[in-house]
Amino acid sequence: MLFGLIVIFSLTAKDFASSANVWNVGTQATLLLLLALPMTLVILTEGLDLSMGAVLSLCTVILASVDIASGSLGLGLGAALAVGITFGVLNGWLVAWMGVTPFVATLGTMGLAQGLALVATEGRETVGVTAELRSLWEGHWVGLPIPIVGALVAYVLLHVVLYHTRFGARVIALGGNREALRLAGLNVNWYLMLVYVIAGVCVAVSAMLLTARINGGNASAAIGMEFDAIAAVLVGGTSFTSGRGGLLGSLFGVLTVSVLRNGLNLLALQASVQVAAVGLLVIVALAIDARAGKV
Amino acid sequence: MTNKSSTGPAQHGTVLETGGHIGTQIETRSKVSNPLLTLSGISKTFPGVHALQDVSLSLWAGEVHMLMGENGAGKSTLMKVMCGAYEPDAGEFRRDGIRVEVRNGADARRLGVAVIFQEFSLVPYLNIAQNIFLGREPMRCLPGIIDHQRMHRDAREVLKRLDFDVDTHAMVASLGVAQQQLVEIAKALSQHARILVLDEPTAALSDRESERLFKIIADLKAEGVAMAYISHRMEEVFELGDRVSILRDGKLVASMPASQAMPNELVALMVGRKVDMAYTRDARPQPGRTVLEVKELAAANGVHDISMKVRAGEIVGLAGLVGSGRTELARAIFGVDPVTKGEVLVNGKEFRAGPPEARECGMAFIPENRKLEGLALERTVGDNLLMAAMPRCFPKGWYIPAHANKLARDIIGQLRISTRGPHTRAQMLSGGSQQKIVIGKWLLDDAQLFIFDEPTRGIDVGAKEQIFELIDGLVRQGRAVLMISSEIGEIIRVCDRAYVMKDKTIAGHLERGDLDEAKLVRLAVHRD
Amino acid sequence: MKSIVDLLHHMSPERRTLALRLIAMAGLGLGLAVLADSFGSMNNLVTVLRQASLMFLLASGLSLVIISGGLDLSIGANVSLSACLAGTVIAATGSSIAGVAVGAGCGTLIGIVNGWLIVGLRIPSFIATYGTMWILHGVTYWYMDGQTIHGMPSEFRMLGSGFFGGIPLPVYLMSLFLLAGTAFSQRTIWGQQIYAIGANPVAAKLSGIPVNHRMLLVYTMSGFMAGLASLVFLARLNSAEADLGEALTLQAIAAVLIGGTSLFGGRGTLAGTLLGSLILAIVLNGMNLLGISANWQPFITGVIVIVSVLFDSLGRRRRA
Repeated sequence: MLFGLIVIFSLTAKDFASSANVWNVGTQATLLLLLALPMTLVILTEGLDLSMGAVLSLCTVILASVDIASGSLGLGLGAALAVGITFGVLNGWLVAWMGVTPFVATLGTMGLAQGLALVATEGRETVGVTAELRSLWEGHWVGLPIPIVGALVAYVLLHVVLYHTRFGARVIALGGNREALRLAGLNVNWYLMLVYVIAGVCVAVSAMLLTARINGGNASAAIGMEFDAIAAVLVGGTSFTSGRGGLLGSLFGVLTVSVLRNGLNLLALQASVQVAAVGLLVIVALAIDARAGKV
Repeated sequence: MTNKSSTGPAQHGTVLETGGHIGTQIETRSKVSNPLLTLSGISKTFPGVHALQDVSLSLWAGEVHMLMGENGAGKSTLMKVMCGAYEPDAGEFRRDGIRVEVRNGADARRLGVAVIFQEFSLVPYLNIAQNIFLGREPMRCLPGIIDHQRMHRDAREVLKRLDFDVDTHAMVASLGVAQQQLVEIAKALSQHARILVLDEPTAALSDRESERLFKIIADLKAEGVAMAYISHRMEEVFELGDRVSILRDGKLVASMPASQAMPNELVALMVGRKVDMAYTRDARPQPGRTVLEVKELAAANGVHDISMKVRAGEIVGLAGLVGSGRTELARAIFGVDPVTKGEVLVNGKEFRAGPPEARECGMAFIPENRKLEGLALERTVGDNLLMAAMPRCFPKGWYIPAHANKLARDIIGQLRISTRGPHTRAQMLSGGSQQKIVIGKWLLDDAQLFIFDEPTRGIDVGAKEQIFELIDGLVRQGRAVLMISSEIGEIIRVCDRAYVMKDKTIAGHLERGDLDEAKLVRLAVHRD
Repeated sequence: MKSIVDLLHHMSPERRTLALRLIAMAGLGLGLAVLADSFGSMNNLVTVLRQASLMFLLASGLSLVIISGGLDLSIGANVSLSACLAGTVIAATGSSIAGVAVGAGCGTLIGIVNGWLIVGLRIPSFIATYGTMWILHGVTYWYMDGQTIHGMPSEFRMLGSGFFGGIPLPVYLMSLFLLAGTAFSQRTIWGQQIYAIGANPVAAKLSGIPVNHRMLLVYTMSGFMAGLASLVFLARLNSAEADLGEALTLQAIAAVLIGGTSLFGGRGTLAGTLLGSLILAIVLNGMNLLGISANWQPFITGVIVIVSVLFDSLGRRRRA
């Protein structure tokens, strides 16, 4: 978590500390946060959801198409939610009931989602969504940009759910000692699936923001975002073998990753390098954890 | 819970308990007509093992029912059946005389059964209060939202009963083993169960903490709670128990009031034969050169100040309670866990490396959990037999299946492993045969020092004898054996001499003539 | 029909796995020959064979990793980077040999780094290789900066598109590595130890098998094969772009899984991976011929992976 601050200070590239830029980073980070939060839950259960990026892209495509075709934002949102939930259920079913390693299961669904998105769009982009939809990104609510409000709401909601509800305690137990849950007479499979469904819902919500931002739907819109989300969670201190870290850690992780990308961007390094850097960051974080005897 | 209808005094030990048992006393009870919980004819089989066969017992209100038996006798399985973690293959449950179904944990809990596990059911990254109330967290007005304040308050109350002063916000992962055991106990107590099952709850506790627990048990007795208590410790049995039942090889072989039990008799019943102190072993050769010498060893896993030796031709036992550090010592010697101080000398040469080098020196390690650590269950018998010896059998590095199969068949014949051949999957074999494979694996590698960790755990009587013969045969050929065992009878019977461990160090050493149960137990018993 | 079923019943499980794949492949081939005219043409069959050989080169290294109980997700990105680097060197110096050295070297180096992360730092294999995948991806895109390399010398192009005695060169390479790989995995003690590690790493360690060393070896080999495959790809496509290997990782995993290797480790053969590569190549080729848009490919590959894994899980449960 300290990385976040270190990275922030070390990147004193031009315009970095300008208020406009901070604002920029903030809004970009909201998207990532919406992915990293459910990813935290998934990782807490010793799983992974690699399909997030692909499903997100698919949702943008669906959302944009429905929105443009029907002119109704509500219908579009509903469609996106449906897609997100469907994939969540699929992932959950594969992992919980079929016993497939989460990693492979979501790798497969990632291919599925990507494929579907490609097929639906024939590789083209869908552009020109309704102003209603666009306002989700550009609009304001009580003085704050909607995306930030959305992210805050999501954070608060998930925080409450994870730390203040029985459900949340069970999710943590899923990762810490699954056997304990079984012995307490609870149905482990349902909880596991619900975690992936929550991920699906969050993906759909972030699809709304993303679609609004890029003003359309694009099959490759979010490819690779799951990596940033995973990186954020890992850097934030949550790991596969321990249940430490948690949502706050992931928040810091998201900020760290976003700041890193933003800084590199300002230094005129392209997206690909940024990705490489994020990868390096993850490895460094894991290495430090390993030395400290955790991982 | 449900009320008990009094249809008159019931006979204790007649209709309700079936299956073989010796020494029951028919008593009449005027207060309660039915036991709180009765198990009849419970059987449970796992692949290759009959864990429980037609076991019946009853738990009466206000009574502590002691369950004794050697490792692998079925106590843990029985307990898991009682709490719904395992569903029995046969048999029935009765609560207050009424037939009930116990198929999972929820059913058991509804009946008022709570269990204190030995291998904890705690979640490391939740705090103490959360663990105590996992699945039953008190809620606020909004459904699903936990009332943290009340949860912690309730947790503190339960812990106070145990005289355990700790911050309930602490994460369980940060607690020591004894403390975790106390949380486990608190968890069960907080369920206000009518039927409490305890699995060696004092294994990790100090005397003072144990006394506290005993006081609570006395209180619970007065409240009419029925308790089943698994124990290895004779003192506990007589201090707390009202009834004693002995399990052996999955069967209930005896059940009697504690007042009528005699320690020797109990041990004899557990072991199944008279422990023959005069078991002569003159036919064994005199011990030869020192194969293993350990000097003031300390390791990262906690063992310290270990000095011992093992010579060719002898079986040296390593006794002690669970948690005394015996497995850790074995792992340190074999190079699995790093050594921090002292030396390990094999055939006079210092050894300070990992398992591959240990193998080269002629060491062999047969771990406690053969399924998880000793065998690759998905692979064939032949593959498993060759797992260690490949560098020795194929020095050039080329692997020749035909030769490997021949070698495997030789060992299968030599050890009389009952299997169709080297191509059978290791998973299909019985516990005893699987253990023989693990031993055979090292035999093929011509190991000279065999370190056994609980060699007969989970193996039925007949196979146990074969394993003992096998081990005996090893030392007659001039090899050296270090044998960890929790079964005192085994140590006395099989070993030439024994070290006793306590609290991760050596507590004492007994020579041939001194080997007897009382001395072993005295050295092993936990004291603060 | 009945005699075939009987025959299958009496085979050992490994043989049976291969036999079933062979039958599946034959069935697919026949089906496609009927549905698409050009499938059975010599030209097309040669193409399929070539594709399968390429895929096999990549998947063979991956097979060993998976058999050892791990996973290497970075192979696609490895191929991209190695091909781009090799291509640059060849274009700059005109020396094919230098290019080969660079390509193979780059791949191997990446394999060593993966191995070190997994063995030395104890990072779980799927995270470590997932991380290196993205790092390589980033480096490759940055390095290529949107450009393409082309114009490989003709003798180099032989590697990918050439023939020798009527059979495409890649097939020779494939056969070579099939033999070498099978010999290694089935007839050396190191190979057998790798199977043991995959089946139960703890038992393997406690049996005196030097697990760390073998794991390092396996990832290095995977990297080397990726490097080798990248050269053949480069030769075949006669160009290199940053996204060259993007779809390859998923395809390689599909090939390995179709071939009967279990993700849980400890079982599987290179012959199976070969059949898997062939089947995958046939499927993709068939899709092309039937006019199905290339956009469906990742979808189908994903479905294949999921179905294979399901079968794997179910088979495991049945055996338990």
